[in-house]
Amino acid sequence: MKKVCLPLAFACLCLLLSSVLSAQTPSRITIKGTVFDTSGAEIPFATVMLLNPKDTTLVNFSRSDEKGVFSFKNVKNSPYLFKISYIGYIPYTQALATSPTEVNDLGIVRIKPITQELMEVVIRTAKAPLRIRGDTIEYDATTFKVPPGSTVEDLLRRLPGIEVDADGNIRAQGKDVQRVYVDGKTFFGDDPKSATKNLGAETISKVQVYDEKSEQAKLTGVEDGKKEKTMNLELKEEFKKGSFGKITGAIGTEDRWALRGNYNRFNTKQQLSFIAFANNINQTGVNWEDYGEFKGQNTFNDNDNGDFGFGSNRRGWYYFSGDDSPLNNFDGRGFTKNYGGGTNYNFDNKKSKFNISYFYNESTLNLDQYSFRETFLSDNSFTNTDTVTQLDFRGSHSISTRLEQEIDSNDIVIIKANMRLGSNTSDNRQGQLFAESGMPPTNSLELNNNTELSSWRLSGTAIYRHRFKKKGRSIAGSAGYNGSSSDGTENIFSLNRFFQATTLTEQIRQLNNNDNQTQQLKASLLFTEPLHKKWFWETFYNFSQTDNKVNRQVLNPEINNERIDNLSIFYDFNVLYNRLGSDVRYSYEGVNIAVGLAAQQLQLDGKYAIDENLPLLTDPIRRNFTNLIPNLDFSWQLPNNMWLGLNYGYGVEEPRLNDLQPVPNVNNPAFRTEGNPNLVPQRSHDVSGNFNYWNAASFANVGIGMGANFFDNNIVYNQTIEVIDSVGIRTTTRPDNVSGGQNFYTYLWSSFPIIKTKLTFDVNGNINANRSPSFVNGVENETRSNGYQVQAGLNLTPNPKLIVGLDGSLGFNKITYSIQESQNQNIQNHSVDASIKWQFAAKTFLESNLNYSVFRNDRFGFNQEVPIWNASVRRLLGKNNRLEVRLAAFDLLNKKVSITQTGTANYVIRNVASTLARYYMLSLSYNMRGYEDKLKKNGWW
Amino acid sequence: MRLHPVSFFSLFFALLFMAPAPGFAQELEGRIRYLVTHDWSKKFAAVDYISKQARERNAYMWGNRSEWKVYTEMFITPTQTKYQDAEEKAEPEDEGYSWRKEEFMVQRNFETQTNYEVFTMLGKKYLLQDSIHGQDWKILNDMKEVAGHVCMNAFWEDTLKMQKVSAWFALDIPVSSGPERFCGLPGLILEVDVNDGGMIITADKIETRQLTSELDLPKKSKGKKITEAEFRSLLKKHVDEKRKAEEPPFWGVRY
Repeated sequence: MKKVCLPLAFACLCLLLSSVLSAQTPSRITIKGTVFDTSGAEIPFATVMLLNPKDTTLVNFSRSDEKGVFSFKNVKNSPYLFKISYIGYIPYTQALATSPTEVNDLGIVRIKPITQELMEVVIRTAKAPLRIRGDTIEYDATTFKVPPGSTVEDLLRRLPGIEVDADGNIRAQGKDVQRVYVDGKTFFGDDPKSATKNLGAETISKVQVYDEKSEQAKLTGVEDGKKEKTMNLELKEEFKKGSFGKITGAIGTEDRWALRGNYNRFNTKQQLSFIAFANNINQTGVNWEDYGEFKGQNTFNDNDNGDFGFGSNRRGWYYFSGDDSPLNNFDGRGFTKNYGGGTNYNFDNKKSKFNISYFYNESTLNLDQYSFRETFLSDNSFTNTDTVTQLDFRGSHSISTRLEQEIDSNDIVIIKANMRLGSNTSDNRQGQLFAESGMPPTNSLELNNNTELSSWRLSGTAIYRHRFKKKGRSIAGSAGYNGSSSDGTENIFSLNRFFQATTLTEQIRQLNNNDNQTQQLKASLLFTEPLHKKWFWETFYNFSQTDNKVNRQVLNPEINNERIDNLSIFYDFNVLYNRLGSDVRYSYEGVNIAVGLAAQQLQLDGKYAIDENLPLLTDPIRRNFTNLIPNLDFSWQLPNNMWLGLNYGYGVEEPRLNDLQPVPNVNNPAFRTEGNPNLVPQRSHDVSGNFNYWNAASFANVGIGMGANFFDNNIVYNQTIEVIDSVGIRTTTRPDNVSGGQNFYTYLWSSFPIIKTKLTFDVNGNINANRSPSFVNGVENETRSNGYQVQAGLNLTPNPKLIVGLDGSLGFNKITYSIQESQNQNIQNHSVDASIKWQFAAKTFLESNLNYSVFRNDRFGFNQEVPIWNASVRRLLGKNNRLEVRLAAFDLLNKKVSITQTGTANYVIRNVASTLARYYMLSLSYNMRGYEDKLKKNGWW
Repeated sequence: MRLHPVSFFSLFFALLFMAPAPGFAQELEGRIRYLVTHDWSKKFAAVDYISKQARERNAYMWGNRSEWKVYTEMFITPTQTKYQDAEEKAEPEDEGYSWRKEEFMVQRNFETQTNYEVFTMLGKKYLLQDSIHGQDWKILNDMKEVAGHVCMNAFWEDTLKMQKVSAWFALDIPVSSGPERFCGLPGLILEVDVNDGGMIITADKIETRQLTSELDLPKKSKGKKITEAEFRSLLKKHVDEKRKAEEPPFWGVRY
């Protein structure tokens, strides 16, 4: 009890003391007064406020009554800023000190009206915030429109309350302006006109007019009571204007080197960027981060390809526009030397978006690859090994541009064009060895092919959209052109050696001239009509006409380049496509369903001759395919961040051009590829579904999906394998239509924290199954391929300076062949990966990862283990961490190799290619913005 | 527009004889529609714990393309306001994907000084019931017109949600309310700008009419009952976690 009593007594004492003190300065007071205007009229219903004088925080507010009387009762006695604001009047502010009495009567407070012109014009018409600081009135110059090239004088003429006479003298609120400052400083001497006549209006953000002490008063420090009208012009605060860029140079062991750099300049409307790279470390392009900075706000675009109707993407969804992108696309095989560079310009003022971009990219590949292939027949099998040495050069110039212009809120036009010029030379030396399974080799084939190809591609699209006055009614139209041309020569030499036959060698030389041209015109229309609040009716029409001309002249260099008639072909192949369709869509509260039907017609016209000007080999072929295509899209956003989607479509895919050519391609005599001009389009029922869940509170994600294709008509590649005297084992592939065949896939991914923000677990799994029928030497073979893959990983971040990752994956691919079950394959690819990122000292980072992969195929006793260990240390230096020094070791164990294993149709193939293995590299980078002085946790979101 | 020059004389006359613009405090009853413009890249730019480099890169890559618009509405009488999502769509309807709306409502009764909110945060529904909590506004001297009403400017910095809020309140609508959770100014808030364009809420239509059942509370909705203090601590826990994960805190939480 005593413990409670003491503070209680103390509190009582305090209370007593404070009431004694309040006799002098009361703790609670009443502040009152009456609001009048300068003409003497009382102001009813004015807003009166008490603010904290330190930071102008609102403490209390009230309103004057009909007679202008206001009071704040029982408020704390402390200093206040007292403020009155009333429409049409300059806000009134008065500092109030602590009151000695219980009632602080302010008496009559007079407030000044704002001139009606300022009120009407600045606040009402221009909707410009008018800033009033004491006597200063500030205009927002950006809201007063002047023609481009205008001077500040022209701008001032438009400001209410400001006059400029013919000589350029300025008057503000009836008084002559004596001084003009620019950003608070005098501008080229004392003449106020020098600034207003010379500065451009577009450089000004604000115009402030206020009274300043006279020059005399400033000099003497004696207040003479004279005030001079002064104007200050505030320059535009272009806080978003800037530039950034970085450059990296690196040298390494094994003659490795790399250079890359980028530079960007931007302001609120424009972005200009440059990028360049050169290296011999297998970076064939730029990384994603640099690419995003290069393309700027044109990295993502509406997927506006102008193809409306089923299968087209909805507008308003952003897509990564990666066509012809200079992103790194190295496939892991061989050694490359790469050069590239480009520039990009973006303009965006919300109504107009414009982009133009140029890029040059070249890559020289040196490849040594060993392949093993086993092909199964109904009664036996044969193998061939293949050793390739390839030198390949690819270079391309690409230019792309896009303009999106909003004409008004209901009309929009988009125009896009892309152009690409490419050249490719390739020198391919190949040695193949053939054997029947378990037997000694029968023959060897040496191939030496030289290819030169130059090509161009041009595409242009224009899209127009109009929205009608009726809400939800709209029309969109598009037109486009796609053209491409390639011109190439192939110089082919093959030498076939037979180990057992009577003919010991067979030599073929061949010169191919290939000239391909494609022109396509297309157009689409889409009309949307609202049926009811939640119901829409869409009708679309698509048209395209494609003309393909292929001219393949095969010459014999040994007989004066005479044409080999049975291998040469010219064909002109036209595809006319028409589709008319309609759907009904329901969209409401997260439920979006569209059900529709389209009629599609494909008309194929083909003409074949040995050369362009020679008589046709057959009568022109004309075929029509008409299909009715149903379509269903269903997406449902459930509560709590769950999404469910279902789609059904009927796919009709015209045959590929190469599959239609009526003469064989025998660049490699052992693998002959035939076309089939009688192919009909592939048709399939395609279904898919997906479910996603995201829990914002627990940071957990789950996604599940599945899909299947059921083929009504499937284009498959039948094989005929025979032993031919002059060739040895020859495989002939020919496409044909069969009914049947299915694909099925399902996947699951999930990621969730075990310990929030510290330990995260993620898991992925997928199953792929497909059945495809085909004929091998006339016997039907069904290949069933079942793939299973599962990956799981842990990511541990015990503190911000350390991130540890552990990941493992298992992959199985089981392939069975109905013609020969003993050949069933079980291909396995497994790997584990451990990584660490550690900031072990100030501005110093260690990054390392170890990957251990196993490639197996038990039936061949193949089992290869590939451990790859990379490690690097980097340190940031300099002011703002602008410099980075990095020492990196790649593939410390010197084991790097590329292995791929695939099994399809009636064969299984394994490729092993050498690639860049162990090297060490020292690099120095400079970043204008500075590098982040911490570990990168998240790549992208 | 070229204006008639203002001479000192006419200014004098204006001061003497011009009746002040009628500024009676209106007894407003009706509906206010607000246009809400979200810009996620600007929201992202305001997350101070994400590295400057990442925020700058994001702003550079998204430019002006990260905006979306919705309508909200407020029913108002001199003593009550109710704010919720509107039925109207602000984006063109022909492009038609309809998002699910979370249940959301803010009801303030100034007679009983009570605040009642229904909202979903991080996938869970809450009913917040407490007294009205205004923000610690700073009053500035700027004026502009929003939807036909002259407004004054006030500023508040929310350190928890990392938001810089600029609000414009009407001098002639003496209801101390506003959109979302913003209130506590001498007049109704007609415009709010959060983080320089991250979210802009502007009154675009004011209809005066007799209200009938619009202000009624929704039927008993299920959800966890919490107080203002509990809401703040839930939010703080989430922001702290997101800070550690270096991810933006605004997904799953009403901005």
